Amino acid sequence: MISRVAEHCFWMARYLERAENTARVLEVNHTLLLDFQVPVDRQWRPLLIISGIHDYEPEPTAENVQEFMTWDRDNPFSIISSLSWARENARIIRELISAEMWERMNFYHLWMQGPDGREVYDGNRIEFYAQARRINQLLHGICDATMSHGEAWAFYQLGSHLERASQVARILDVKYHMLLSRVEDVGTPADNAHWIAILMSCSGYEPYHKTARLVPVDPGTAVAEFLIFDRLFPRSIRRCLWECESAAAAVAGNEVGRGPTEPEQKIADLIEALDRGTIQDVIRDGLHEMLTHIVESVHEIGEAIQRTFFAAEVRPPAPKPAPPPGGQTQTQTLGGMTQSQA
Amino acid sequence: MGTLISGRSSPGLNGPPTVNPMLFDVYAPHPTAWDELFTRTGGPHTHCAPLVDRLGRLFATEFQAKRASADMAFVNQGITFSVYSDRRGVEKIFPFDLIPRPIPAAEWYPLEAGLVQRIKALNLFLYDVYHDQHILKDGIIPADLVLESKGFRKEMIGFAPPGGVYIHICGTDLVRDAAGQFLVLEDNGRTPSGVSYVLENRAVMKKVFPHLFADIRVRRVEDYPHRLRDALASVAPVGAASPPCVVLLSPGPYNSAYFEHSFLARHMGVELVLGPDLFVHDDVVYLKTTRGPQRVDVIYRRLDDDFLDPETFRPDSVLGVPGLFRAYRAGNVTFANAVGTGVADDKAVYPYVEEMIRFYLSEEPLLKNVPTYICARPADCRYTLDHLDELVVKAVNESGGYGMLMGPSSTAAQRAEFATKIRENPRNYVSQPVVTLSTCPTWTDEGPAPRHVDLRPYIITGKSTWVLPGGLTRTALVKGSLVVNSSQGGGSKDTWVLENGR
Repeated sequence: MISRVAEHCFWMARYLERAENTARVLEVNHTLLLDFQVPVDRQWRPLLIISGIHDYEPEPTAENVQEFMTWDRDNPFSIISSLSWARENARIIRELISAEMWERMNFYHLWMQGPDGREVYDGNRIEFYAQARRINQLLHGICDATMSHGEAWAFYQLGSHLERASQVARILDVKYHMLLSRVEDVGTPADNAHWIAILMSCSGYEPYHKTARLVPVDPGTAVAEFLIFDRLFPRSIRRCLWECESAAAAVAGNEVGRGPTEPEQKIADLIEALDRGTIQDVIRDGLHEMLTHIVESVHEIGEAIQRTFFAAEVRPPAPKPAPPPGGQTQTQTLGGMTQSQA
Repeated sequence: MGTLISGRSSPGLNGPPTVNPMLFDVYAPHPTAWDELFTRTGGPHTHCAPLVDRLGRLFATEFQAKRASADMAFVNQGITFSVYSDRRGVEKIFPFDLIPRPIPAAEWYPLEAGLVQRIKALNLFLYDVYHDQHILKDGIIPADLVLESKGFRKEMIGFAPPGGVYIHICGTDLVRDAAGQFLVLEDNGRTPSGVSYVLENRAVMKKVFPHLFADIRVRRVEDYPHRLRDALASVAPVGAASPPCVVLLSPGPYNSAYFEHSFLARHMGVELVLGPDLFVHDDVVYLKTTRGPQRVDVIYRRLDDDFLDPETFRPDSVLGVPGLFRAYRAGNVTFANAVGTGVADDKAVYPYVEEMIRFYLSEEPLLKNVPTYICARPADCRYTLDHLDELVVKAVNESGGYGMLMGPSSTAAQRAEFATKIRENPRNYVSQPVVTLSTCPTWTDEGPAPRHVDLRPYIITGKSTWVLPGGLTRTALVKGSLVVNSSQGGGSKDTWVLENGR
């Protein structure tokens, strides 16, 4: 498959996943507001921090932050930006994706760009987030059911799950930044409700409760354990990394005697880091530190994928192992299109 | 029609008449142009009767609703083109008119034969001018006209492209004059565009008016992509893979025709590539894939000659591939179309196509040209300058309706500007009498009204030649306008080549 096309496919999936997760985290924060009096700054600023936005100047009120993270076209992490980058990547590889996929993608793009999406946002915020969340779910489903499960699909899977792993880590980390810093706050109704909210934002509420565990349960430990380590839940970080592992193996091909590619190696390293300990070890050593390690590792895996599959120095075929032809520098032709979160 | 036929009233016995007219009730044909649907006496042409009957049963409001749903289909499918003047790439839909333009079988077959004859002569002409130049030596066409054409590529001299074909894809623009005769306006033998609209227009028509297609037999257009892929594979170079690796080379997503490029790649089942996806090693073209290089055999390039290869042509081209032309000359890759076909669609060479047919095929041309004055010839130049207010003046190397003067509707200042340009560089201009293009009923804000149309059939040549039944009917949307180009605000229609008997 053409390297450039693979790259657009990978990023299309990542942007879609990113838009979904942004909607999830905004939704849960918006809902929490209905139950508890948390100082506004502590409730909304963390959402900016987990997206790596540190220079937001206005007061981070509920409305300001939601507007900024949903509609601001100059904010590369807003839902509208993510969806429009996803659509732009899709437009470029229009010949690769199915007609049904493209039609829906285009439909939602127009929904966001025109008055329709805004109308829902203004009239019923919860419904808006539910719909925004559904965009990726629907498109992922269409893709799964209409696209050949070959290399392009493997890149799509790789992009989706890599982004999801990183986003789940970020969502968990909101808790750290919202820090109820005093020890006496731990285990209070507000604290527990917050953990449940995080769980819900990852659609994990029911699967979590169906998982057998020892009582009494400390939600702070059990929720984090579930979202990081669960072997079955499709949004747990471990599960996402397993999906990445098999997608990366699929895109690398199955040549006999082939050693692992750099991305495969890096994914394996991260999985191993998770396998080394239990949630108790993680909490003892610092949950925030672990999550930061995951986000950074995902970033490195993304860079390794870039090096290995998208911008590889293509060597002319044998017999003559000559240097690459002159002037063929691989540059990022569509600047900004494939930016990642720092 | 007009006021002669009273509007059938809306349902309801005592309803006021003509409040909601039927589709063609208020149609008043153009006073002088040939109408594609109606005869001068007011009734439909025989072959149009079933169509006029069925469409004519629609209330104007019903038709409007169908129109809105067709437009939505185009928007939702992102069937758009971007406008060059806008770098942010505002995407527009190519305005589509729902009233089809029918062509009876009896009229289509001679047209098809004429187009096949023409492309045969053009391919022979190209081989000749890049080899022995018999046609120039015999004085049939002035040598300087050909050799000084911008489209003439000296790099092609002595080289025979794989399969011997130069113009694999040709879009020939036809117009119908007031007497109803089809004439050739120009041949687009470089990288003609628009065929994706033919296919998409048909798809939308089938969605909006399924019953029309059940009642009236219309020839299929959907085979085009496969025909094209097979034709390209048939002229792959010696030593190509089996099946050959065919790719479509596009200038990229910011090109106004990118939608068409990806549309064709998708329907042909070939990869869409950009220049940086390819590289040349030992005169062989390779594709950069996630698993290493893959050899490329045929390139359907939607990139002008100038941009193909910075080593041979424009050195500042970032869209092309260094060394591509070397690989071509080495016979390791086929380009469609070949390099240097521009000399055959030069507007100053066009007037000689009828002569080419006589010269190479010893046949009489089946299709006539529009009479053309070549300003490179002093007498023609004088005539043009003296009659600017009656003629259409065209710059020979422009397309898309740019660099054109419409004499009858021009201002004195525009004519003066063109007179200066023609005197400065007569070789760059030709002129033609204004042809009153035929009209077809087209939906406007005032209901259906006659608008001028042309016709661009697409001709594919590999081992053999095939003509897409029908082609792109472009329509001017402004009253009285004879300019149908999409870049100038034209729209398009579905073209129906009717099968015999129905």
